[in-house]
Formats: sequence, C-alpha cells, structure tokens
Amino acid sequence: MEERKIGVYVCNCGTNIAKMVDCDGVCEHAAQQPGVVLAKSYKYMCSNPGQEMIIEDIKEQGLDRVVVAACSPRMHEPTFRKALQTAGISPYFLEMANIREQCSWVHDGGEAATEKARALTLGAIRRVQYHQPLERRSVNMCPNVLVIGGGFVGMTAALELADGGSQVYLVERQRNLGGNVARVDLTAPYLDSARDMVTALITRTMEHPNIFVFLNSEVGSLEGYVGNFRAVVDTVWGDQATSNEYEVGNVVVATGYKEFDASRVTHYGYGKLPNVITSFEFEKMLRAGRVETKEGKTPNYAAIIHCVGSRNREFHTYCSRVCCMTALKYAHELKSAVPSCYVSDLYVDMHAFGKGHEDFYRRGSEAKTLFLMYAKGDHPVIRKAEPKDGCEMLIEVNEKLSREVIEIPADLVILMVGMEARDDSDAVARLVNISRDKDGWFIESHPKLDPVATTTDGIYIAGACAAPKDIPDSVAQARAAAARILARTIRGTIDIDAVFAEVDEDKCCGCRICNGLCPYSAIEFNEEKKRSNVISALCKACGACVAACPSSAITARHFTDEQIFAQIEGVLA
Amino acid sequence: MATDKLQIALYWGAACGGCDVSVLDTNEFILDVAAAADIRMWPIAVDGKYSDVEAMEDGELDLAFYNGAVRNSENEHIAQLLRRKSKTVVAYGSCAYMGGIPGLANLTNRDKILDTAYVHNASIETGNRVVPQPETRVDGKVLEIPRFYRRVYRLDNVIDVDYYLPGCPPDAGQVKAVILAIVKGELPPKGSVVGASDVALCEDCPRTRGEKKISRFYRPWEILADPDKCLLEQGILCAGVATRSGCGVRCPKSGIPCRGCYGPLPGVVDQGAKLLSAVSSVIDSKDPDEVDRILEGLPDFTSIAYRYSVASSLLQRSYQQ
Repeated sequence: MEERKIGVYVCNCGTNIAKMVDCDGVCEHAAQQPGVVLAKSYKYMCSNPGQEMIIEDIKEQGLDRVVVAACSPRMHEPTFRKALQTAGISPYFLEMANIREQCSWVHDGGEAATEKARALTLGAIRRVQYHQPLERRSVNMCPNVLVIGGGFVGMTAALELADGGSQVYLVERQRNLGGNVARVDLTAPYLDSARDMVTALITRTMEHPNIFVFLNSEVGSLEGYVGNFRAVVDTVWGDQATSNEYEVGNVVVATGYKEFDASRVTHYGYGKLPNVITSFEFEKMLRAGRVETKEGKTPNYAAIIHCVGSRNREFHTYCSRVCCMTALKYAHELKSAVPSCYVSDLYVDMHAFGKGHEDFYRRGSEAKTLFLMYAKGDHPVIRKAEPKDGCEMLIEVNEKLSREVIEIPADLVILMVGMEARDDSDAVARLVNISRDKDGWFIESHPKLDPVATTTDGIYIAGACAAPKDIPDSVAQARAAAARILARTIRGTIDIDAVFAEVDEDKCCGCRICNGLCPYSAIEFNEEKKRSNVISALCKACGACVAACPSSAITARHFTDEQIFAQIEGVLA
Repeated sequence: MATDKLQIALYWGAACGGCDVSVLDTNEFILDVAAAADIRMWPIAVDGKYSDVEAMEDGELDLAFYNGAVRNSENEHIAQLLRRKSKTVVAYGSCAYMGGIPGLANLTNRDKILDTAYVHNASIETGNRVVPQPETRVDGKVLEIPRFYRRVYRLDNVIDVDYYLPGCPPDAGQVKAVILAIVKGELPPKGSVVGASDVALCEDCPRTRGEKKISRFYRPWEILADPDKCLLEQGILCAGVATRSGCGVRCPKSGIPCRGCYGPLPGVVDQGAKLLSAVSSVIDSKDPDEVDRILEGLPDFTSIAYRYSVASSLLQRSYQQ
C-alpha cells in the first residue's frame, strides 16, 4: 500500500474530553505512527476554526486521510466529511475515533482513559489508510405518491401533495372517504363541526384533478425502493374485481386507528346494561340530534367514564390522548341537549395538555359537571338500580380526592373507549416494510427528530396509525409528510448513500443464506443466474448479510474486512 | 543427478494415510507419472530413505507433496528438509493446508492428549501406563523419539509453501490435473490454492435451494433426508455454504453433509466463524430460549464448524495455561 499522509486531530470538547483524557498525550502518541504527518489537539474541532484547521492542512500539507478523535460519528461525522469535501478530497477519507461517549464520559479519569483514547485513535489511524473514495449515486425520483387510507389524515396529505403538483393515488378500503372523523359530531375544544370539516375535505379530494381516489380498494403489493416503487391497487365493486399497477416515488401510510372494544371490559356491564354505551355510540346520538336512553327517555343523570381500555395493564398501558377532551365535549353537549341533566365525569387524571384545553376544562367545571377522580388501577362499578332509586343505574366510585366511597345515579353511561392499532396493522407494516412497536403502532425513524419518516426510505407515516393523536396533531403530520415528500420530489432525483452492501457475482454461489435476513428487503434472488443481489438504493448498510455470507461474497463498502481488521489490530496494538 | 525426468518426493506427516491413497486413486495415471518422473521418496510406496533426501543437493527435487499436519519434531524436520531440497512444495490435503482433523487437538492440550492416550484409558492395562518420553536411557544409551509438540501446526506455519491442494483427501481428478499442470509448468501465482474452485460447494450441488430458516437441527442419523433438497434447509448442518467446491460434491451427492474439507472461500479469514455466522443468521426464532433449544441440536458445534480448520482459524488453538 502506498504511504498515506494522515492528519490526526484530537478534540478537547471544551473540558468534556480534556478533563479525563490527556489530549496532548494522545496527539504525541498518534504523531509517532507510520503515515501520520501531523497530529494536533484543539479545544473544539467542530467549531469553524477547528474545521478550517483541517481544510488548511489538507490543502497545505497535502493530507490524504484524516482522523478526528472526538465525539460519536453520529454527532459530527457529517461536519468533518463536509470539511474534507470542501478541501477537495473524498469525504470518505475521514475516520472518527469516539473518545467522548466511548471514553471520557464513561471513565473516571486516570491513565486508563488516556490509554483507551490512544488505542481508539490508533485503530482509526490504521483503518483510515484503507478508506476508499466512494461516490454517491443518484436515482430517479418519481413524483407520484401513494396515500394509504382515505380518512382525515390521508385526504389532508393527498390534497397538500396534489396542490404541490404530485399525482396522488389515494386508496381507501371503505366505500366512502372520511374515516373515523366522519363518525364524530363536534370537535374539542372549540366545538367546530367535524362533519363540516370532513365534508369540505371529501369534496375537495374527489374534485381535485391530481388525485385518483380508489374506494373499496386495498394496496395488494408494494415493490421497489424510494423514488421507484410499484404499487398494485386491488378494487372490488360488487362482483367485479380489478387490479392496477402504478408507479410511485413515495408512500404515505395514514391507516388510522380502531376504537377499543368496550365489551372486553367486564365491570362496566357494556353489552348487558343497555344504557352503557361507547363514545362512538354517543357521537351517533349527537349526530342524529337525539340524546335519550334505549327506552326513549330523556336522561336525568349521565355519567362519563374515562380511560376505558387505556392506561391500565390489562389492556393498553398508553394514554389515548383524545378521550379527556372528548369527555369534556360530551359534558358540554349533554348540557346543551338536556339542560336539566346532571353530568358526572369519572376520570383518573385530566389530561388537558393541548392548546385551549385547560380553558375548556375550566369551562366544563363552571358548567357544574361533577368531576369525580378514581385511582389508576381502580375502577368504578356499575349496577342496575332498583325502581325506588329513581334512575337506571348506580355507580359506585372510590373518590380519590375526598377518600370517600360515593354512589351516583345514572340513566346513561358513556365509556370513553381508547384508540388501538388496527387488526391488520401487521399486514400493512409488512406490505410497506416498516416496523411496529409492542402496541402495534408503526414506528417512526426517530421519535423526536424524524417523526413522520420511517426506517424504510420513501415510506411516511402520519396520524393515529403511529400512536393516538388528536386532529390538529394528525393534520400537522399529514402536512409534514407531504412537505417532506414534495421537498424530495422537487429535485427529480435522489442521492443514494455511497455506503451499502454489494454482492460479488463471481463469488456468490447462490446458497441463499442472505435472502431472508435483510430488514429492508434489499436482497433479491435472481433465479436465472442463481445469484443473490443487493438493491443498493434500499440498502441501509446494516451489515446483516455481510456477516452472514459464508463465501465473503457480500462486502459492505466502507466496512470491508480489511478496514475492520486494521482497526482491531490498531486498537489491540 | 543430471536427468530430464521430474524429481519428486511425497511425504506423510500427521495424517491418516488417505492422502497417499488418493495419489494411488489416480490409477494407471500414476504409472505414467512414474515413467515420466523419478519418485525419490515416498514412504508408503517407494524405497527412498530420509538419508537419501538429506544427501541431495539443495533444490535437486522439482516437486514435493507434503500431506498431513505438523504434529511433532519429525514432521517439522522433514518439512524443512523437503523445503530445502525441492523447488516447489505443495501442501497436499486438508491437514497440510489447514491443520485438518489432527488440528482438532488444538482444542485441548498436549498433557491431556498424552494422558488419554497412555494413562487414563480403559484399554490400557494397569502397570502399562507409560507416557513416552523424547529421550529414554537403555543400558547407558539414549533412545530418541520425535518430540510431541504442544499444538498442531499447518505446513505453512513451519515452512514457506508454494501451493495448497485441499481435500480430505483431494479428489483424484484434481490431483491428476494439478500434476499435469506442474509438468507443463502451467501453475498460478505462488501461494494459490490449486485443484479447487473459487466458489462455494452450493454452486455445483444438484440439490434445490430456497430461503433458509432452520427451526431444528438434525444429526444425519436422525432424519431421512429429502434427496433433492438442500441439506442445510432440512436442518442438517452442511458446511457446503462456507466451503470451496472442487471435490465433485461427493458428500452431499451421497446424502452426507459437507464437512468443509476443501477449506474457506477466497477472502475468508476464518471458515468456522463464517459457517457459524451464516447458520446463526438463519435460525428461525428471535426468542433466546427457543434459540438455545434449537442450538442444543448441535452438540460440539466447534468441532463441526472447524472440523478441518482449527489450526488455521483466527485463534488457532484454545486458550490453555
């Protein structure tokens, strides 16, 4: 191998590294290594002067490889790669030694931390000599978008995309658009009509020239990769079934949620006591404009019970987020419909975190709703009342604030059923190749920094399919997903990272060990050639197939055996 | 000795003898070799002595085939001798190439081996439990036997090797082809593996292959294997995925899983680790207890995965004080 000219930069990270590691000592040690032409220690390598130092040294000293001993590459690899690029050499000629997270932060000083920093840095020095000047490639980005789910979120995303010029294929399983929001009367906390909002959305969606709406339809298959998917849409109308294939560049999954099945909770008598109903059944009453018991009587007493199926170990441990405000909305709507009705609200905690929600809670209190708090883990008990009681049911509750057992009358009980993942969320996840969490919700690429993207490039999730959400949050996500897609399609092409796995066809024997391993479905088997192949645009360079390939026919660029062995030998030297 | 004939020697180190037999397996071809060459030493078949080789000029031999691993001082002595006397040395067979079956002894140590062989063994009479020593004094004279090394070496641990011809034993057709290539001087660069393919056994295996998911391992006697389907997919640990082809797929064609004797693919550093990595990747469970249960079907995985390659693995021997 030709002699390299390596520059080594040891970052103090203020005192983050310097207080545990003798940075000058690491520099001196690095400077003695073959191939190293200079080694410098600096307070903040990621600062502008730090980057400038690297750029100048590359230009003036002719460095052809750079080692930065600093923080995790997750933090600043892009920063330093850019510096190399600015200086005119391949950004892949960089290697970082993580002497902060893996060293100074986890040790309590002494010579050992410095020794480890020296070893990590030497590993990087040995490794970087084998780095190759990789080139990023770009592939075509089809501007068409597939939106799965024709509810509030799907329609919002579709309209945003269509207004932006994308051709949108909107696929809805039901015979109508609208989803769960179409089953709701008013919305909390401003009491706008959900019906008006949904109707306006449906009209715009159906009339938009850039949106193809497929009702009674499902996505049969999705193949390909970001920018270049092929989606098959299966439609059934009566006894007629059709199937069509469309090219799309990105996909928005907006499949929403399903309501918790109240009959799974036995202690509220749902299904046995006729006047115990779910929130969605109450919405139906509100939309029909008639609030009454099964017997057709006007209720004198109504009770609302929170957290049905949510926030308990037996069913779902998570909070469904929308029920508290919906419950307050019901109290309000009950009072409007039947002003003489006494309304009780049995809650665990009142989650009023959103904009305008606390004010709404205050207005509910002022409207003489009786708020009764019960403990998490406990639950009210409902029984049928005697004729002498003058009501349909009696509810016994251990009231937490007064520490008293209170019995209240009720003619109508509304159970605030939570949200849960749809039964077929597993099938949808497999269809578009994304993951689900323990509760069945789709997992985002990063919960804070990358909420609507997924680990599969080109697949976005929006709304309650990713976790319970109210309408404003869901709409924000729908528009965020649309904006993300538009921002990428506007360029017409997409850059593919230069780091990916590739199969050497001359070495592959077609044993198919790798075929089922790829979490991103990037491996295909060519039956004709009897060879496996990695679709580089889908590959995330996780290395699962590389490690498994018994022929060493699969190589991960930038993580070759040569590079890894050199690094190990450097660390152990 | 001035002659146009090819000057050849064959030697048997720590080996079972199968490699020598495989030379004879070339049948009447060996007679052509004998006609075209002088076989100067071949303990199993020809009457040449060590002293005859010692008497040769350096480089007098054109070709030496060394089969077997290097287990003792005699093996090493002859290896050094042949290296000096021969222009070309070929590591013949899996033991010379990778340490082979004798290399499995590197999973234990010298004392335990000698103890099992000469002391604590049901077949040894009490009173006859004698561990042979390198030097024995009899009637005031010293008798020497070769020193038994602490570990097994590959041939190239002790001498510079020109070519490697794998196989346990090497396929007779490949042996013939390699000898012909040597005669004609058509050899690849020094250090090459000869008489073998550069692609894994599966390439030439007639069994059909699909995606692999293993939910249970079977020892070969535990199952009536489907004759047409990939053995590994049936839960029989076949090393073919991690092994060079070139043997003619002898074992899988006979319903026996490949044992890996042709060695790792080019670029693979550790054949057993590669096999382990591949097999563990296709175990059909993510539940640790279930995975443990599945792996229980593979007692002594190390000996199976490294059947021929312990001495050429990254670690080369187990850690023993």
